Amino acid sequence: MASAHSHHSLGGQGGFALVLAIAALAVSLLLWSDARADTPDGLVRLSEIHEGALLIRTVDAGLYVPAPMVATDIELDISGPIVRATVTQRFENPSDAWVEGTYVFPLSAGSGVDRLRMQVGDRFIEGEIHERREARRIYERAREAGQRASLLEQDRPNMFTTSVANIGPGETVIVQIEYQDVARLDDGTFQVRVPLGLTPRYIPQDSDVLPAALGSPPDRRVPGAHRITPPIMHPDGEPEEGLRLPVTITADLRPGFELGRVASLYHATLIELGDPGRARVSLADGPIPANRDFVLTWRPADESAPSAALFTQEHEGETYLLAQILPPAALGAGTPRRPRETIFVIDNSGSMAGTSMRQARDALIQALQRLAPEDRFNVIRFDNSMEMVFPAAVDASETNIGRALAFARGLDAGGGTNMLPAMQAALTDATPDDGSRIRQIVFLTDGAIGNESELFAAIHDGLGRSRLFPVGIGSAPNTYFMSRAARIGRGTFTHIGDVSEVSGKMAELFTTLERPVMTHLDALFPEDTLSEIWPAPLPDLYYGEPVLLTARLGSSEGVMMVEGRLSGETWRQQLSLAGTIPATGVATLWARNRIRALEETRFRGASQASIDAAVLETALDFHLVSRLTSLVAVDVTPARTAGDDLVARDVPLMIPDGWDFEAVSDSRARPVRHAALDDAAVSRIAPSAPPPPPGSDAGEGEAGLALPATATPRELLSLVGGLLMLLGLLWLVMNQERRLW
Amino acid sequence: MVNTRLIARGGALALIAAGALVFGQGVWIAAKAEIAQVLLAHAWTRAIDGETAPTPWPWADTWPVARLSVPELGEHAIVLADAGGESLAFGPSLLAVSARPGEAGVSVIAAHRDTHFAFLRDVEPGQTVIVEPADGPPVAYRVTGSEIVDANRSGIHVDGGTARLALVTCWPFGAMTPGPLRYVVWAEML
Repeated sequence: MASAHSHHSLGGQGGFALVLAIAALAVSLLLWSDARADTPDGLVRLSEIHEGALLIRTVDAGLYVPAPMVATDIELDISGPIVRATVTQRFENPSDAWVEGTYVFPLSAGSGVDRLRMQVGDRFIEGEIHERREARRIYERAREAGQRASLLEQDRPNMFTTSVANIGPGETVIVQIEYQDVARLDDGTFQVRVPLGLTPRYIPQDSDVLPAALGSPPDRRVPGAHRITPPIMHPDGEPEEGLRLPVTITADLRPGFELGRVASLYHATLIELGDPGRARVSLADGPIPANRDFVLTWRPADESAPSAALFTQEHEGETYLLAQILPPAALGAGTPRRPRETIFVIDNSGSMAGTSMRQARDALIQALQRLAPEDRFNVIRFDNSMEMVFPAAVDASETNIGRALAFARGLDAGGGTNMLPAMQAALTDATPDDGSRIRQIVFLTDGAIGNESELFAAIHDGLGRSRLFPVGIGSAPNTYFMSRAARIGRGTFTHIGDVSEVSGKMAELFTTLERPVMTHLDALFPEDTLSEIWPAPLPDLYYGEPVLLTARLGSSEGVMMVEGRLSGETWRQQLSLAGTIPATGVATLWARNRIRALEETRFRGASQASIDAAVLETALDFHLVSRLTSLVAVDVTPARTAGDDLVARDVPLMIPDGWDFEAVSDSRARPVRHAALDDAAVSRIAPSAPPPPPGSDAGEGEAGLALPATATPRELLSLVGGLLMLLGLLWLVMNQERRLW
Repeated sequence: MVNTRLIARGGALALIAAGALVFGQGVWIAAKAEIAQVLLAHAWTRAIDGETAPTPWPWADTWPVARLSVPELGEHAIVLADAGGESLAFGPSLLAVSARPGEAGVSVIAAHRDTHFAFLRDVEPGQTVIVEPADGPPVAYRVTGSEIVDANRSGIHVDGGTARLALVTCWPFGAMTPGPLRYVVWAEML
């Protein structure tokens, strides 16, 4: 009986415990998923945006509903390597409430939006460049006057953002931005990419590559295409009828040389060749769905022929020039490699412990094995101490390489980081005037150091004929230090993020280093003292790279001369300034180069105040967003006379002079509901109050600024978790004790 | 009988495991706040060296804009840009709409009451708060007082007037659940 009773009671308790445990598990899973904050369907985060989009604020902080895009038009104006892009996009407010939006557009590093025009309902807004403080004053004045303005000083990396306030129910928003970019050059092919993709869904197969070939068989794969994996929307996500996001694209291509193959990697295009140096590109089958990036590539017709092109632009009475000179055939792949002196420096400090050390060791071993008998080399390791394998650079004989390899294999991470003595030792050049060999320093480190400016000064002062090639090791190396060290050291920066990348990245670096290099590049202009040339000094030239220089000319007549040293010989080319091609964006590029050079004078002792003054002046003169200037969006809606107010709705919109939104106008656009936009997402949209009537106090009104949530469930979680554990423990103990009864 | 005991023990163990999972969540929130400040210190050195918007880790959607300290309490923290992401989990954030430190108007810095701004309850009028922006000289403020407001009717107007600082966190301190009230510490530029 007792046994039966016990049995019953235990069974009941066991069942109860089980139910309780399952319930607790369910609750904890709920809390877990809440804390992880997975993105719900139809909503996006800023970090997931890979295309131009208008994001509408929702009730969930950090989550947005993308507004349906009705039409997008993209115009590319390409002169030499300069790409000027005008993007016009038309959106609709999908909800029947007033909403707040943010327009975002992803940009590649080094490019920036410098023009902005917006139409929100019947308001017109234009971006103006002002000094930061002045921009803020204008913004405040506009607010006081009851106008709407927004300040675009959030310099988010690689992302242009601007807020769009007071979008009425169902209202249309048109955004037009202009930005400048430089075409990427990879293995002789120029490439420009326009972001149109979504969050990556799957990587396209080879069959997705649609080469619109010109003068070459269509099955020939575009070199480098395997490296391009644009995000693409799965076909299932496309709507049944029409296009999800109709996009039109046109490009005017004037590369500055006779065009060879022009191709769009993922879209069928129509390419009309004008004269040999010009092409117009448009979409072959009308508007395309915005489901993958638009990538345009082009190559010169004759790759071995040296060619030169000069582009000029008049800007406020001055002539600006861009010279693009493709290297002579001697820089081609066929030329034999030249002997060199390579100094390897490897960081074995404590911060490199683990995978980083293994990567660095593998990279060094691979580098040593590539040395040729006629080369010279040395290996230096450092932590808080420093050790050189040989007292000075030695011949790359089998015995010497064997000794270095044994040293490399025995390296372990530990100790502090004292980089300066190692850098100085590497820069010490026993034969500074030896013109027969090039001297290269390969520096393997994670860059975990604090005395960056000291190192920059050491590199700048001690460089001589050496060139510095920092190799960043580990997932988060100090890229700021390394990319700047590479610029000052006149070399390139390589980042190895993963052990699997070591052999590929190192092979790439060494292929570059082994090829002939043109040094001592210089450009001479008539009335040279009046010309200002950037970058200064001109960087060394490796295989396949063109000389690119921008100048403000003292005189726009006569000839310019470019010279450099190649394999111990002097190379020279003369170009007439008479036959230049007019182009846009040249002055902007010159100004950007100037600002970059100004910023880098800091570690050479220039005062911050003088740098600031020069940067500010340049940025304002050339309408550039910079560290010291902002775009401020100002309402420029043409004023109506007071009597017109009542009939305002019947009057066609008055568009400000010089504005052109034709490409995305009603007649051409086919409104299609966003396939991914479900009603659940739309219901999350945070409605904002309708704007006050003109003349009343605009902005936050009486309520003041809305403050963010500043509580975490930390204590609640700890308490609930602790209680659950205690309960479980009690149960366990009681269960044990019951056996004794 | 053995079966039921096994079930009971299994249930108890599951209860402990579930408890540990929930408890771990709480620990993770605190750990994230601490670890982030260490990583941020590194990004901060890059920011004051002139780099524009250095992200503390590659996928971060925020970056340091200033360093905040209260010398009397020995407290300091790296302040992040409020870029619409989840910067509050990692550090105090300078609200994007507010004035830049040292300029006319109110600079609003918000942080969680149980991590970075737990020390706000100890801040008293007369104490000094120093804000060092990444691209300018340090700005010193003197605390003038504090108030409790509703999050949606804060009465804070960021534009115009003298340069002021508002440090914002949730109220009341020590509460377990989120609420509508906010604690605001006001300071004026010296």
